[in-house]
This record gives sequence, structure tokens and C-alpha cells, in this order.
Amino acid sequence: MQRRWYTAGSIIAGLAMLATACTGGTGGGGGGGTTSGEIIIARNQPTSGGDASDGLPAQNGIQFAVESKGTIKGFKLTFKAWDDTVNGTHDPQKGAQNIQEMIADAKILGMVGPNNSNVARAQIPIANRANFAMISAANTNECLTQTFDYCEKDTGSTPAKLRPNGTNNYFRIAAADTFQGPAAADFAVDTLKATKVAVWSDNETFGKGVADKFTAELVKKGGTVVARQDFDTKVTNDWKPFLTDAKNKGAQAVYAGATSGTKICIPRAQMKGILDVPYMVPDGGVNTQCIKDAADNAANMYGTVAAADANQNPDAKATIDAFTKRFPKKEDVGSYTFPAMDCANILIDAIGRAIDANGGKMPTREQVVKAVSETKAFKGTTGTYTFDKNGDPTSPTMAIFQTKGTDWAFVKQFGVGG
Amino acid sequence: MSRLMASIRSTWEHDPRKDPNELVYVLLGIGALVFPLAVQVATRGSGSFLISQAADAGVYVLLAIGLNVVVGFAGLLDLGYAAFFAIGAYTYAFVASDHTEFTPIHQAIHIPFWIALLVGMFAAAGAGAVLGAPTLRLRGDYLAIVTLGFGEIVPRLFRNLGDWTSGVNGISALDTPTLPVWLNGPWSGDSLQLVQNFKIIDPLAYYVIMVILVAICIVLVSNLRRSRLGRAWMAVREDEVAAAAMGVNTVGVKLLAFSIGAAFSGFAGTFYGAKLSLVSPENFGFTVSITILIMVVLGGMGNIPGVIVGSLLIYYVIFNVLPGLPNMAADFANSIGAPGLNTPSGEYPGLSGEVQRLKFLIFGLILVLTMLLRPQGLIPSRQRAEELQKGVHEDTVIEDLNAETT
Amino acid sequence: MEGAKLAPSRFGGEVVGQLRQARTAFVAAPIGRILSVLVLLMIVYVLFVLLTRIFDRGGGYFLQIMIFGVANGAIYALVALGYTMVYGIIELINFAHGDLFTLGGFISLFLLPIVGADESKAGTAAVILPLIVVFLATMAICGAINVTIERVAYRPLRHAPRVAPLITAIGMSFILEGLMFLWKGPFNLHYPNLLPAASFAIAEATIHLRDIFVIVIAVILMIVLSIFVSRSTLGKAMRATAQDQDATELMGIDINRTIAATFFIGAVLAGAGGTIFGLYYNTVVFDLGFSAGLFAFTAAVFGGIGNIQGAALGGLLIGIIIAFSDGYFESAWTQVVIFGILILVLVFRPTGLLGMRVPEK
Repeated sequence: MQRRWYTAGSIIAGLAMLATACTGGTGGGGGGGTTSGEIIIARNQPTSGGDASDGLPAQNGIQFAVESKGTIKGFKLTFKAWDDTVNGTHDPQKGAQNIQEMIADAKILGMVGPNNSNVARAQIPIANRANFAMISAANTNECLTQTFDYCEKDTGSTPAKLRPNGTNNYFRIAAADTFQGPAAADFAVDTLKATKVAVWSDNETFGKGVADKFTAELVKKGGTVVARQDFDTKVTNDWKPFLTDAKNKGAQAVYAGATSGTKICIPRAQMKGILDVPYMVPDGGVNTQCIKDAADNAANMYGTVAAADANQNPDAKATIDAFTKRFPKKEDVGSYTFPAMDCANILIDAIGRAIDANGGKMPTREQVVKAVSETKAFKGTTGTYTFDKNGDPTSPTMAIFQTKGTDWAFVKQFGVGG
Repeated sequence: MSRLMASIRSTWEHDPRKDPNELVYVLLGIGALVFPLAVQVATRGSGSFLISQAADAGVYVLLAIGLNVVVGFAGLLDLGYAAFFAIGAYTYAFVASDHTEFTPIHQAIHIPFWIALLVGMFAAAGAGAVLGAPTLRLRGDYLAIVTLGFGEIVPRLFRNLGDWTSGVNGISALDTPTLPVWLNGPWSGDSLQLVQNFKIIDPLAYYVIMVILVAICIVLVSNLRRSRLGRAWMAVREDEVAAAAMGVNTVGVKLLAFSIGAAFSGFAGTFYGAKLSLVSPENFGFTVSITILIMVVLGGMGNIPGVIVGSLLIYYVIFNVLPGLPNMAADFANSIGAPGLNTPSGEYPGLSGEVQRLKFLIFGLILVLTMLLRPQGLIPSRQRAEELQKGVHEDTVIEDLNAETT
Repeated sequence: MEGAKLAPSRFGGEVVGQLRQARTAFVAAPIGRILSVLVLLMIVYVLFVLLTRIFDRGGGYFLQIMIFGVANGAIYALVALGYTMVYGIIELINFAHGDLFTLGGFISLFLLPIVGADESKAGTAAVILPLIVVFLATMAICGAINVTIERVAYRPLRHAPRVAPLITAIGMSFILEGLMFLWKGPFNLHYPNLLPAASFAIAEATIHLRDIFVIVIAVILMIVLSIFVSRSTLGKAMRATAQDQDATELMGIDINRTIAATFFIGAVLAGAGGTIFGLYYNTVVFDLGFSAGLFAFTAAVFGGIGNIQGAALGGLLIGIIIAFSDGYFESAWTQVVIFGILILVLVFRPTGLLGMRVPEK
């Protein structure tokens, strides 16, 4: 009996708290008055699970950017890392929690990341309410920034719904999936002369999306998808039934919508002895892990990257050399190392301008978001960036790579959209 | 925390008539009330993320309380409990967003959060009944395996039935809970006025809602445990044959345990969906089921305060301690004047990287060591503890061995 | 089922009785009757679609898919044996078993370069001896590790509440994954391709020597195990312990030794399975055992948990179902199919395909 009174009491007390809670201020940070101190760049990448082979190289790029800058207008620059992996996979709830932690720390003025579009979907609204700047190098899901008829149906949300504040706080430099899948399909038909393609995906937001867009463009160009499967890559080890099916139906190329965290190039190794045709991957596969996984069948693979290749930019050579000196290992560099570095530099540059705008004092987060949105022709290692009103780059670039030996070699790059 | 545990243990050991549960309830109650204030003071007003996280932890507390009904009270091992959690969360996504407009229903449904809590509850309980009806006659571990299978199937159905659930993308932009009327005033920085459809956004508000939900669930569950049904559960758990002989409808009783247990995860799922404003099929896998089971067992199966403490501890370890370790290690290396430890070189990924790789290992060690040192859980139900001590359990084992000849 | 308990029938009709009771119990509820009709219709429909597709795609494709399925299933069968033996003897769902399978892959991957087997010698006679050495060493190491785990983590809990050892098993699974993670990181590891690439064709299907290798090794191991359990003293002790621990102990059999031996043998098979997996798929990753273990466990239940031939059969069937689902239907539904079949098997035939005793709580 007595216990019942305790609980009844706590419920009443709880209701009283609800009264105070709902009326509490929004809180949230930024906007100190000092002219020196520490500014922290946050980053959010998956770094402990299967996605780590994408997340870690990107993190290195951010770390390098922050370290080589050191200070900005009298403020010490540091970076702080968050991992959105729970039990081996990127987790939106963990991402949401991470961003709340970032927002609570007034020294953090913006973040670079995340890597995965569903994490971004959980983070953007929270960051938006706090006017917290996010710049992603690798999110390519188009519905994060652009409004299409199918966005509501496919993802349940539109850019407007993700931004309850009404203003934009989310930016990216990657070309959206609306470009990547079609670019691969064009390349398949025009360059590889493959019109019958077998397509598989890892059944995740990115992989399935890019595979669907590849399919749409291929069909538009008169090609056919001879076999299509969405695998649960956590439990699938055997792609041979699918590959045999593809062979029997006369596939002239195979397209994989996946990432190296979802075994993108393991099927390539299994193609040996079954199907000897080109293998095409999106940016999730353009890394050393993929070549390792493909093993002795790594030749004749093609990959698209939704950002320009830093190595093609003569101005970036010094930066690349310095980076290689700092991070000498081959797996330290991935296709998103330099884009992530550019994101960090864009953010740092914007913070610098925001400091100026605030008269040399620690800027508020609103000022940082405004400064990022005003980024004009920022010269990064992978290109020159200006953001449109959605937060997309005005002139995104697609690059195509091909395997040569145990490396990815540049084939060509071209501007898309714009 | 260790001192708290020690004091609980001493109360227990030195005064066998005193129920340690009351002490735990009081401590938990006070903790829940003081927590937001303490956090805000400790972090100088920027602790809202911790409060928000505490509300997330509450989701797991609800889940653990629900699973405890199934595993702890009725003794049915459920390895797929996350399936009901998923059903609860997706139910909220269906009844409180524009999403259904894009399914074959073509009509958006917006049910207020408070009613959706009940809808989620009934949906999950219904799913529990549908799964339970044909399978609850199975004994022991076979039931565990069926639930495991169910737990694997449900998230994949949500993932594969793209026309209805947006497939792998999940459903986002779910409705925020609203209060029909609310009084704004100087305390919220506005002028004094009544606002309608007040949207709940503040983490503290979620926290309070969660505390109230948990409190309601505790009252419900404790009453259930003391009820006729609760005693029937206990009888079925200890000896199904004897219970049946005494006139207990064992299947019906088990089915109720299953449904009621699932109902709590319906609550949890609704709250989870409303707070995160996103549901996606990846977040209800086997690991979630296992995590909840670990919370129940580690806390003390069958004992509500034990389960609550267990779930809070495990949540804290999984979501705070383990992810924070790498940074802690790096800071530690810096503070002892050995920043060189943090620099990656060659195969060595740096101290924080090395510690990050330790995550799985540490969690595993915690599980194994706790079980070896306290197989009955941190705060076990006294009845069970006494059974263990007096060797009643031994008898049940022999009972079971006889029964095996069927 | 209560009736069965009150009037035990030890022999013969046991399985049939169980089956009938489960079925009547199921059908008794109106909800159950509707469900069972629906389920039946669904099964008929799926089988019909499968048959038409098999007919459409021709015999060569069917044979090819079958071979992939059998090879894959042979590996699951090896892992399932460990689950079934451990469950049979101490009624523990050994969640760490799948990770021992992965560990087998990791250990052999580590040992291969030491004994001088690298890809330059792939498919030649020069790899045969090193491979045998690696197989035996991996099996022995895995066995030793599992015996240690049993001693440290499960034996002290033998009389604790039933879920306690289950949680330690999950904990051990995390520890093993953590060790492998620490050792090699989160990446897919390339496993040297040592098997000959040769193949021959039968009716449009290409059969590689590696497919045959996997099946043959697995079958040999299973036959050896089967003979061991049915003929040797230790095997008899195991079966006795599985039936009645107390009585066995009264007969003067060392229970601890028998249980340790069971864990050893289970891990030996898992270690061999891991090595075969590596050689066949040329990749291992630290958390492979999680899903592989789940499937293998399903296989064990499928065949009738506690039943050795059942586990072998279950493993093969799981492999074949996966291959058919991937080859003729959509891979995204494979797991739904497998676990759906699992639930149906348990509802209609709780003792699994080959049947065994009724496990108790």
C-alpha cells in the first residue's frame, strides 16, 4: 500500500515538473563575448563498425584540416570526434544523441558529417532548431536538400519538414544521387557498351537509392536490367546464385549499389570463373577495401565518386603531399578524405568570417550558419564551392575511376547539374 | 553507484525483514526528480542533451519492464522482444504522420500522441497475442526460438514492404506530441497567454513524460504481480504441470503475459518514434532484443526495481561509457603528459583508436563477469534469491528431468 | 501438451503423439484455424511459383543453384553440429559458437603463411600438406579455446538460473568478436585462394572443384563425428549425460569431462567450418559469426535440436533454401522465408524434422 503512495507522489511531482518543463527556454549555445579561446569542430562518422573503412579516412581529412590550420583569428582550433555506430552499424538514434551533445557544448560551432543519409535525417531537425551548421562530404540522398514528388513517399520527409526553423543549416559538397546513378548508367551504355546489366543493392538508403537511379537511367537509354536483387549483406556470403542468374541472362556488366561496409566488392571476387564482365560501383566502393575484397579479380572495375578528384587539381598537390606525410598508410586515404577536408576548411573559413562579422568575438551559431551559406567560390582540394539556397553545391562534379593493378586510377571527371 | 549497491546489500543482509525494493524505489524517485536540476547545475545550463538522453534511456526502462513480465514473471524466454518495439514505433509512424497518404490508404492520419500511446499499446499487445496463440504451447527454449524467428522477421517485413513502410528509408517527420492548451508566460519568455496546440520540443518535457510513463508502468506492473494473474504466472514459471493441476489455464495465462509484456514495448515504441521523429527498420534488430534481455537479467529477473536499475546501468554503459572511452583515453594520455600515445603510427591506430577497438571486448567482459559474480542479477527478487539459497531451484531441476521423459 | 506430461509414453509413438497434440492445440483456437489455412495456402502458392520458375529456368540452372546451396549448407551443417551437441548435453543456446566459427577462419588465416601456403601455390600439390596441418592446428586451437570458455564461463553457472549461462554465452560472443576486432580491425579480410580453379560442366552447370572440396570435407567430418558418438566410450558417455545427468553421474561417469569433450568437439567442427568458409569464400570478417551462428542455430532447430543427423540435414536444407531463395526469388525475403519456415516447423513439429526429446525449461 505504502509503495502506491510513493508512486502516486512521484506522479504528482512529475506533473509539476511537466509544468515547468514545457515552459523552459529553448536553451542552446553559442555567442559568448570573448575574443580568444577555443573553437571546436565536431565530426560525426561511423568509425567502429563495418562502415569504418569509409568513416576513418574521412575523419583523417577533417583532422588534417583542423591540425594544419591550428588557430583562427586568435581562437585555438581543435576537433572532437563522435562515432554514430551502435553494435556495428550506423544508428540514427545515436546520431541524434551525438548532435545534442555537440549542441550542448558552446565551443562547438559546427560539424562535418555525417556519412549516412538516414543519420542525417535524424540529425538535421535537431541541428536546425539550434541553428547549428552541418556540412557533409558524403551524404548523397537527394531528398535531404531537394524537394521531389517522390521524397514524401520514399522517405516520409521533405527538406522543409526536416528544417522546422524554416532556415537552412545543412550543406553538402557531394553531388546528389540524382547524378551519381545516372552518371554510372551513362558510362555503362556509352563507354562500356553494356546495355544488359545485372544490378544488386545492399538494401540500405544509399545503396538501394543509387541502384534504383542507375536502373531508371539505364532503361531511359534503352538498356535493360536483366537481374535485380536487394541483399541483406549482414547475412549474405554467397552471391553466386545471383551471378549465375545474371550470366544466364546475358549480363554485360554488373552494378553494385552498396558500400564497403556492406561487402560491395566481395561479389566481384566471386564473379571469377562465373561471369567475366565489368563491375561498376558507386563512391562507397572506390577505396582500398574494395580492391582487397575483390582480390585477384580486381581488374575491370569502374567506380563513380560524387566529388572531384583532388589529384587532378595541381593546386592541391602540396596539401596532398603534406597529408600523405601525416597519414602514410594506404587505408588512411579514401575517396572522401579530401572532400571531408574541404568541408572542414569551408567550415573553418566561414567561422573566420563570422568572427569578423562579430567584431573579432566568438560568433554565434546563427552567424556561422549564415557565413557558411555565403561561401563564395571557396577553393578546396577537390573543387571550387558555392552553395545554393538548398545547401547543395552549385556546380557538383562527378569523377569516374577504374582499377589499375591494386589502385583506383582516374578516368575522367565532369560537372553535373548547376 | 558501488556505494549505493553496497548499502542495498547490507540492508538486505542485515535486516531480512526489510524489503530493499522500497529503498530502491525511493532512491530512483528522488533521482528522477533531482536529475534534471542536478544536470543543469553541473553543466551550467547546457545539460539538455543529458536530459534528452535520460528520456531515451527511459525507452529502454519501459522495454525492460515489459520484457520482465514475460521473462521474469512468467518465465518465458523471449529473444525477439524488439519486434514488438518495432511494431509500436511503426504504429505511431502510421497513425501520426502524413505517411499513410502515400500508402495505398491515401489518407494521412494524425492521432494525438496521447491516444497514439494507447493505439501503439494495443497494436503491440495484439501482435503478441497473434504470435503467442499458436506458439505458447511450445515449451521452454522452443518458445525462445520462435520468438527469435519472429524478431528477425518483423524488421525485415518493415524493410521489404516498401509500399507501406517506405522500406529501408524508414518514415520520418512524425508528429510532435502536443498539449491542447498551455499557459505561456514570463517564465518562457513570452507574455502571459493561453496557447493552443502547444508543441512539445524541449528535452525536459520528454523527460517528464517519460518519468510519468515509467511511474505508471511501475504501478501497473507491481499491481499485476500481486494480482491473481501474477500468482498464476509465478506458478506457471515454477512448475507448469502443478499449476495446470491446480486449475490454472496455463496457455491463457502465458498468452496474457506475452501480450501484456508486448504492450509495454508499444508504449516504448510510440515514445521512441515521437521523440526521434523517425523510424527505420535497422533499429530493431536482434541486438536490441538481446540488449533488453541483458538489462532484465543483469538487473535481477522478476524484480521491477532491479530491472530498472539494470536497464539504466546497461544503457549508460552502451550509450555513454563505451562511446566516450576513446576520448577519455586520449584525454588521459594528454593529462599524464604522454600525448605521443595518441599519435597513430604504422599498425597502431593511436590510443583512442585502440580503445575504440576494445568496445566489444569490454562489454563482453562486463556481461560475463557480472553473471559469474552475481548470476541472480544486481537486485534480484527476494523470492528467487531465497530459492537459490535454499536449493529450491535444485528441486525444480530434478522435477524437470523427470518431466523430460514425456 | 500437459496431457503428454501426465501420461508419459517413453517409446515409439512419442513423436507422433507430440505432433498430434501440437496440431490439435494449434487448430483448436479459431484464430489458429484461420491462420493454418492461410499458411497452407501460402505454402502451396509459393511452391507452385517455385516449380514454374524451376521449369522455366531449366535443369542446368537448377543443378547449379543446388550445388551452391549444398556447399553453403555443408558449412552451416558443421556449425550447427556444435550448437546441437552443446544444447543436447547442457541445454544451453551457445551464442558464442558462431564466433568460434569465425575464430577458426581467423586462426587459419594467421597460420597459412606460417606453414608456407600462399596464393602462388594455389591449386598445386604443394598446398595439400600445409592445408592439412593448418586444418588440424586450427581445429585443436579452437577446441582448446572452447574448453577453456566452458570451464571459465559456463561451468560455474551450471546450477544458476537458466538465463545466466545464456547471458554469459552472449558475453563470450562479444568477447570473441572483440578479440578478433582488436586483432584485425573492422574490415573484411582477404583469405588466400588456395583451392584449384578447375571446373567441369554437367548439363549447363559448372561445377568447380572447390564446391566438391567443401562438400567432401564436411561429409568426412560428419561421418567421423557420427561414428565417434555412436561407437566410442566418450560418445556413449555424452549420450548418457544428455539423457540424464544425475543417473550418468551415479554410473561413475565424469560429467565435467564429458561436457568439456562435447565443447571440444563442437569447436573442432566450428574451427574446421571457419577454415572451409575462408577457403571457399576467400573472405572473413570479425562479426561473421553473428549471422552465421543464427542461421546455423536455426539449422540445428530445424533438424531437431540435440540430434546430430538432424543438424547435418538442417544445415544442408538451410543452405539450399538460401540458394533457392536467392536464385529463384528475391534475396531480400530470404531471411523472412528461413525464419518463417522455422516458426512453422516448430508449431507443427516442435521436435524438428528428425525429432529428439522434448527440451525442458
